[in-house]
Amino acid sequence: MKYAVKRIALCALASTLMAGAAFADTSDKKIAFSNNYAGNSWRQAMLNSFDIVAKKAVADKVVGAADVFTTADKEVPTQAAQIQNLILQGYNAIVINAGSPDALNGAIKQACDAGVVVVSFDGIVTEPCAYRVVVDFKDVGKQEIEQMAKFQPKGGNLLEIRGLAGTSIDDAVHSGIIEGVKTHPEFKIVGSVTGDWDQTTAQKAVATILPSLPAIVGVVDQGGDGYGAAQAIAAAGKPRPTIIMGNRQDELQWWKEQKAKDGYKTWSASIAPGVSTLAFWVAQQVLDGNKIPHDLLVPYLAFTQDDFEAELPKIAAGGVASHEYTQQDAIAAIKANMK
Amino acid sequence: MIAALAKLASKPWIWSFLGAALVWLAAIAFTAGYGAGGMLTAALSLSVFTVIVGVGQMFVITLGPGNVDLSLPANIGLASAVAMKVMDGDDRMVAVGLAAALASGLCAGVANYLLIWALRIPPIIATLSASFVIQSIDISYGRGLQIKPPPGFADFTNIQILGVPLIAVLTVLFTIGAGIALHRMVYGRSVLAIGQNIRAARLAGLKVEPIRFLTYSICGMLGGLDGALLAGYFRGANVDIGGEYLLASIAVVVIGGTSVAGGKANIPGVWGGALFLVLLLTMLNTFGVSAGVRLLLTGLIIVAVITAAGGQKTTR
Repeated sequence: MKYAVKRIALCALASTLMAGAAFADTSDKKIAFSNNYAGNSWRQAMLNSFDIVAKKAVADKVVGAADVFTTADKEVPTQAAQIQNLILQGYNAIVINAGSPDALNGAIKQACDAGVVVVSFDGIVTEPCAYRVVVDFKDVGKQEIEQMAKFQPKGGNLLEIRGLAGTSIDDAVHSGIIEGVKTHPEFKIVGSVTGDWDQTTAQKAVATILPSLPAIVGVVDQGGDGYGAAQAIAAAGKPRPTIIMGNRQDELQWWKEQKAKDGYKTWSASIAPGVSTLAFWVAQQVLDGNKIPHDLLVPYLAFTQDDFEAELPKIAAGGVASHEYTQQDAIAAIKANMK
Repeated sequence: MIAALAKLASKPWIWSFLGAALVWLAAIAFTAGYGAGGMLTAALSLSVFTVIVGVGQMFVITLGPGNVDLSLPANIGLASAVAMKVMDGDDRMVAVGLAAALASGLCAGVANYLLIWALRIPPIIATLSASFVIQSIDISYGRGLQIKPPPGFADFTNIQILGVPLIAVLTVLFTIGAGIALHRMVYGRSVLAIGQNIRAARLAGLKVEPIRFLTYSICGMLGGLDGALLAGYFRGANVDIGGEYLLASIAVVVIGGTSVAGGKANIPGVWGGALFLVLLLTMLNTFGVSAGVRLLLTGLIIVAVITAAGGQKTTR
């Protein structure tokens, strides 16, 4: 009996050792990146991060090829046609930032049936055969209120800026904020506008709602909209509330200027555009023969009062903070999701 | 008799102002009067950008059936990036940057006209395909980065005199100039004549093609100017900065009572339409309706106002 236990333990030890090593050689595998939009700073940083990591992986012979395909418009049919082309071109895996959560499912299913591994991130797909790399956006929303409670311990009125209506991200952040407000009843959301994660849209929306709002102590948002909110509030001559930021260079720069002026405090969080590289490594791990859950929850990128200034010089003017993930990061993230 | 005619002629645009006043009153009724002035100040500031491109679009639409500039959003995006890159955060370069934005817009306008005239492509297709080319140029030129305006230029877009934005005052002066050009100058009269009947205009000896060329060029330049001003007001150029002006530029023209079939135009309606659109957004944001309901109501209310304005036309 004792012997048997020992043997099982040995087997377990051996398998854990093997899990770290490669089951299959991926050096001849080809990975394609299907992307449907390149027009904003976030997407540019996403492509840039992917380029850095993928080029190195190819040079190091970890994978055979890693090519990027961006469609010219945001149209779903164009991306579906592109996926079909990628299948025909013989790619082993497709990393995808999808233009629609469900409209591409037919093309994704075709890819899976052809034996192609599909890993979606940011814009994820619901097709069960695909992998989804998802950032815990609900926690971003909850944390925003937690942080706000530190900066505004007395509580007060909040303005919420929502993201693109109908997206899973907008729903997740919003539900996190609602949950946060429930645990911190000293805060009350007195207004809500749609900013579409876009500075221009957010500034316009905040400018139109501001005249009718009572005094607010804070703005909770979804990133890309904080700077626009700050501009709209300044233009209306209202006192500056605590505005949660979203890792954009102009947001952090503004934060730095306010901090230098009077010790202004806030918090910043967003999905790192470099999550594209995490998706890339997940695809590589799947090709490697590792068993991986189809839904992976990965951490977001946050900056606090103490570390945002160190990050600022690393971000291109007008860009967004990013982080390139390594193969080890991917393995760690996968392990965390196995629990 | 003349007075009665003038009253009739002034009718198409009155609906847009009526609509604007109504949504504003609805918004302040909701807040019990609180923030009424602030709403108007914000509406004036934000309307400016729609008015500038709306005037350009109005001249193009007035040229007659099928004439429309769908390249405005891409044009605005590219011009915003060109202006901000040329200014490069330096207040001394503002004039040069504005000139560069106008030049960028002019290029877009000329390209539109050349596609329409030389290749005989319908304007709706020509300007749409031009917009893809322009947007691609913008993406490779601006790399999706938000380029900041010089501080002086940014502050200029925020200056207010007794709650009235300076930029709105300047735009009123510009629209008065555009009104004179439309109704009192050979150019404007020619545009109206071409829109009413292009063949008759040609037989009457009007230089039809030069006028069309000029109109598309002016519309392009106004798009360029708008791009620079938007980048100043919204503190940074970006590819999507003009995104909403595809629908908005056409909507203000139609809501303002200009005929979509061409040949009939008025300038005040562009202001009325622009104020209406911004105040509508203000009202719906004040009511706190969700994004889906807001889009639905925006669509329905625009249809209602256009029907009201159009119904007036058919009874005449």
